[in-house]
Amino acid sequence: MTDFDLVRKNLFRKPLRTILLTVSIFMAFLIFGMLTSLNVALNRASESGSSAERLVVSNKINFTQPLPIAYVNRIAAIPGVTGVTHSSWFGAFYQDQRNSRFVGFAVDPATYMTLYANDIRLTDAERKAFIAERTGVIVGKSIADQYGWKVGQTVPISSNIYVKPDGRRSWDMKITGIFTGAKPTDSTAALYFHYDYLNETNTFGRDQIGNVAVRTASSDLNTQVAKAIDAAFANSPYETSTVDEKTFAQAFLKQAGDLNFIVTMVVAAAFAAILMIVSTTLVSAMRERTKEIGVMKTLGFSSPRVLRMVLGEALLLSTMGAVLGLAVSAFILAGLSKSPAASTFGDLSMAPIVALSGLLLAITLGLVTGAIPAASALRMSIVDALNRR
Amino acid sequence: MSALIQLNNVTKNYRRGKEGIAIFDGLNLTIEKGDFVAIMGPSGSGKTTLLNLLGGTDRCDGGQIIFDGERIDGYSEGQLAAWRARSVGFIFQFYNLMPVLTAAQNVELPLMLTKLPARKRRDNVETALKIVELSDRAKHKPKELSGGQQQRVAIARAIVSDPKLLLADEPTGDLDRNTANDILRTLQQLNRELGKTIIMVTHDPEAARFANRTLHLDKGTFAEVTA
Amino acid sequence: MSLMSQTRSVIAMNVRSIPQRLWMSVATVVSIALVVAVLLGFLSLANGFNQTLKGSGAPDVAIVLREGSEAELNSTLSREQVDLLGRGPGVKVGADGRPIVSGELFLVVDGIKKSSRTKANMPLRGVGANGLLVRKQAKISQGRMFAPGSNEIVVGAGLLREFEGFELGKSVRFGAQTWRVVGVFEAPGTVFESELWADAPVVQSLFKRGTSFQTARVVLTSPGALPAFEAYAKSEPRLQLKAQSELDYYAAQAERSGLLIRYFGWPLGIIMAIGALAGALNTMYASVSSRAAEIATLRVIGFSGFSAFMGTMVEAMVLSAIGALLGVAICALGFNGLSASTLGAGFTQVAFRVQIGPEIIGQAVTLALLIGLVGGIFPGWRAARQKPLLALAA
Repeated sequence: MTDFDLVRKNLFRKPLRTILLTVSIFMAFLIFGMLTSLNVALNRASESGSSAERLVVSNKINFTQPLPIAYVNRIAAIPGVTGVTHSSWFGAFYQDQRNSRFVGFAVDPATYMTLYANDIRLTDAERKAFIAERTGVIVGKSIADQYGWKVGQTVPISSNIYVKPDGRRSWDMKITGIFTGAKPTDSTAALYFHYDYLNETNTFGRDQIGNVAVRTASSDLNTQVAKAIDAAFANSPYETSTVDEKTFAQAFLKQAGDLNFIVTMVVAAAFAAILMIVSTTLVSAMRERTKEIGVMKTLGFSSPRVLRMVLGEALLLSTMGAVLGLAVSAFILAGLSKSPAASTFGDLSMAPIVALSGLLLAITLGLVTGAIPAASALRMSIVDALNRR
Repeated sequence: MSALIQLNNVTKNYRRGKEGIAIFDGLNLTIEKGDFVAIMGPSGSGKTTLLNLLGGTDRCDGGQIIFDGERIDGYSEGQLAAWRARSVGFIFQFYNLMPVLTAAQNVELPLMLTKLPARKRRDNVETALKIVELSDRAKHKPKELSGGQQQRVAIARAIVSDPKLLLADEPTGDLDRNTANDILRTLQQLNRELGKTIIMVTHDPEAARFANRTLHLDKGTFAEVTA
Repeated sequence: MSLMSQTRSVIAMNVRSIPQRLWMSVATVVSIALVVAVLLGFLSLANGFNQTLKGSGAPDVAIVLREGSEAELNSTLSREQVDLLGRGPGVKVGADGRPIVSGELFLVVDGIKKSSRTKANMPLRGVGANGLLVRKQAKISQGRMFAPGSNEIVVGAGLLREFEGFELGKSVRFGAQTWRVVGVFEAPGTVFESELWADAPVVQSLFKRGTSFQTARVVLTSPGALPAFEAYAKSEPRLQLKAQSELDYYAAQAERSGLLIRYFGWPLGIIMAIGALAGALNTMYASVSSRAAEIATLRVIGFSGFSAFMGTMVEAMVLSAIGALLGVAICALGFNGLSASTLGAGFTQVAFRVQIGPEIIGQAVTLALLIGLVGGIFPGWRAARQKPLLALAA
C-alpha cells in the first residue's frame, strides 16, 4: 500500500459524495473547455488569413466607405511598398440572402493572388485560369462542397449591395478554381472574382474600391509606411487609415462585444460556485475524519505527510473532474468542428493551450479547496483529535 | 533489568482559560524493560495525560522523559513522530481502525513509515495477524468484524513494526468480559513471549490483574499497589 | 398528532438545523445564486437588446428599402422615388400641407468605443426636416437641432454613453470634414438613440451621394393604410420598392439577433445548474445523515416517513429560494440598467440597457427551484426510508 492508495481509498469512502463533487467540478471544466475554446477559435478565425506583415488601407471615416481606385497606383509608388492589391466587399449570396451568405470580394486577380498566395491555395493552372477568365471566380472548398460546385461550372452569385443596369443583382460567374486555406483549420467560406467584371456592369460606385492591401519590404517598416500612406492622402476627400491586418481584424471582432470579458465572467462564476461547494464539502468530510487523522499522527505519520495526503485528496478530486470535463468538451468540440458551425468559427477543436491551462486551473483548484482541511490537519493536535468522539 | 522509561521530575499543566492547573508537579517513574504495568486511577487523575507523555503525543512542561537512554522531551514534532513510528505501538479503547482499509491494510499502515520492501511488509503483516489469530479475517473491513476482532487487528497494527513499547488506553473498555480476557491474555503473551514492554491504562481491576504490577495514580502522584 | 402538524414540526427542526451545516448550506445558496445570476445576465442582455429593437418601430410608419436589401446600409433610393412615395395612398399630410416623408441616408463612420477603446461602427443618419416627425419618440434634450445646410450634428443619448468625444459643443472629424455637435436627442429604448443625425443634403454632398437617399420613412394615416401603401411601392413602375411597417422591420431584426445571446445563456445556465445540483444533493445528503439519529427517534415515537421526507424537501427548497433571491438581487443591482452595445443588423453599434423583466426572472427562478426540488427529492427519500431502530444503534 502506498500513500496514493490511502488517498484514493479515503476519497471514495462515501462514493456518492465524491461522485457528486466530481460532477460539480466536471461541469465547471466543461464550461471552461467549451467557452475558452470558442473564444480562441473566434480570435483565430478573425486572424486567419491576416498577418502582421500586410497593411490594410481603408477610408478613414470607416472601412465601409469607399476609396478611389486611383489610390492603388499612388500607394504602390510610396517607398517601402513592395506589393499592392485591392478588394471590395460584394455582399455575396447564392439563392437565399439569409441562409447562403458568404464572404465575397471583388479583387484584382493577378496582384491579389500574389499577395495572398499563401492564404488562398490554388494550383498554378487554376491561378492562371482565374486571372485569364474575366468572369472567373474562385470559391473556397467548404462552399464548393456544400453546393457541389465543380471547376468549369457557371453559377449565379448575387450581391445585396450592387445592382446591374438591368436591375438584376446577380452575376454569372465561371468557377475557375477551388481553393483551400493555409491551414486546414482556416475557414474557406469565401469567394473572389474580378473587380473589372463588377466595375463594368455596376450601376453605382464606379471606380471605387473597398480596401487596399499593402505588402512592405519588411514588417519593421510597417509603422513608417502606414504613416507615409496616410500622410499622402491627408486633407483629400478620401483620407485613409492604415493599420496592419491583425490589428484591423481584432478591432472588428471587438465590435460584437467584449467576448473575452463575458467568457471570463461566466468561467469565474462557475469556478466561484464549485470552489465553495468543493471546499465546504471537503472541510465537512475532513471533520468527520478528525479522529482518524489523530490516529495516523499517533502512529508516527508526520504532520507534513498528513498534509500532503489531504492536499493529494483534493488534488485527485479536482484533477479527476477536470480531466473528465476537458475530455468531454474536447470530444464535443471535435464533433462541432465537423458540423456546419465550423464554417463560421473555423476549427473549434481544443487547443493544447486550453487543455494545459485547464490542468493548471485544476491544480490551483485542488490546492485552494484542500488548503483549509489540510491546514487544520496540519495544526490538529493528537490529544484534541483523539478526545473527539 | 534496565530502565526502558524514566520520568524525572516531570511537570504538566493544563491550561483552562487564563489559569493553569497542574496535573503533574514533579512526577517520577521508572519502567523496566520487559515489564507489563497497569495504571489505574479515577477519572481526572491524569492517566491519559501520562500515556500521552509516554507516547510522545503530548509534551511536558518541565522535567525529563528518557526512553532507552535517550531524552525525548526535547524532540521536535517531526523527531517525535519518527520515534513513535519506530518505538511505540498504540492500542486504543475504540480500536481506531481506518474504516476504508481492510484488516491487513490497517496492520500495514505503520509499515508505510518504514523503508521495508513490499514483500517483507506482507510477511510482517501476515506474522502479526497470525500472532493475534486473525489470519482468516485479513481481507475484512473493520465494520465486518466484531469488537474483539477489531481490537486484535489494532494489536497486530501495534506490533507489526516491532516496537519496544506498547501503550494501551483502556484496551478492554468497550468489550464484554470474555472477549476482554482474551485480549488481555494476548497482551500478556506479547509481554512474556516477545518481551514487549507494555503500559496499560485501565479502570478495570480485573484487567489490571493481567499486568506484572499496578500503579495507582491519584491527583498526579503514584501509589504502587502490589498485585 | 396529525400528518400536517407532524410535517410542520419536522420542517421546523430541519430549518433550525441549517446552521449546523452552515458553510455547506451557504455554498449551496451561493452556487444557486450564481447559476441564476449568469442565466439572468444573459437573458437580460438579450431582453434589453430585443426591447430596444422592438421599441424602435412604429406601426403607422412605413420604412421603404430597395427590393432585396435587408438593411438600410445596403439600400439606395433616388430623390424622385422619395418624392413619388409621398404621393402614395394613405400617406399622412403634415401641418405644412405636404406628406410626411423623410428621405434618409445611412452611413457608417468610425468612433472610439469607451468600453474597448477600439474603433467601432457608428451610424451617421442624414435626415431631412421631417426626421423628428417620423420618430415620435425622439426629442432634443440638450442644445438644439442642426441648422439645415450646416456641418452640424445632433447625437443620440445612447451613442453619447458608449462612444468618446461626442459631448455637446465638441467638434468631430469624419475624414476631411469637421462637424460640430449642437444637440443631444433622446429616443428612449430605441436604436435611434445610438445614431448621429445630420442634415441630409449636407451628408449627400460631403459623402458624394449626389441627390440619392438610402431609405425613406413614410408616416401613414393609420396602421391599416399599410397594405395599400405596400402594394403601391411594389407595383408603381418607377418605384418597385419594398415597404414594410417599421415595427415589423425591427421586430424581424430582434428575432434574428436576440437568439444568439439566448442560445448561449440557456446551455450555460443548465450546465451550471447541474453543477450546483450536485452540490445541493451533497448538502442535503449531509443534512439527512447528520440527523439520522434524530429522524430515527422521531420515527420510533410515531412520526411518518412522509414528514421526514417533507422536512428534507422543504429545507432544500428554502436553500434554493434564498439562492434564487440572491441571484436575482445580484443581477438587479449589478447588471440591470447597465449600458452595453453590440453590432446590430445595421452593421453598426446599437446601444441598449441591460433589462431584467418579470418573464426572464420567472425563468431563472424556476431553474433555481428545480435545483431545490431535485436536490431535495433523493435525500428526502433516504430520510423517509430511515429505519427507526437501525439509526439509533449507530
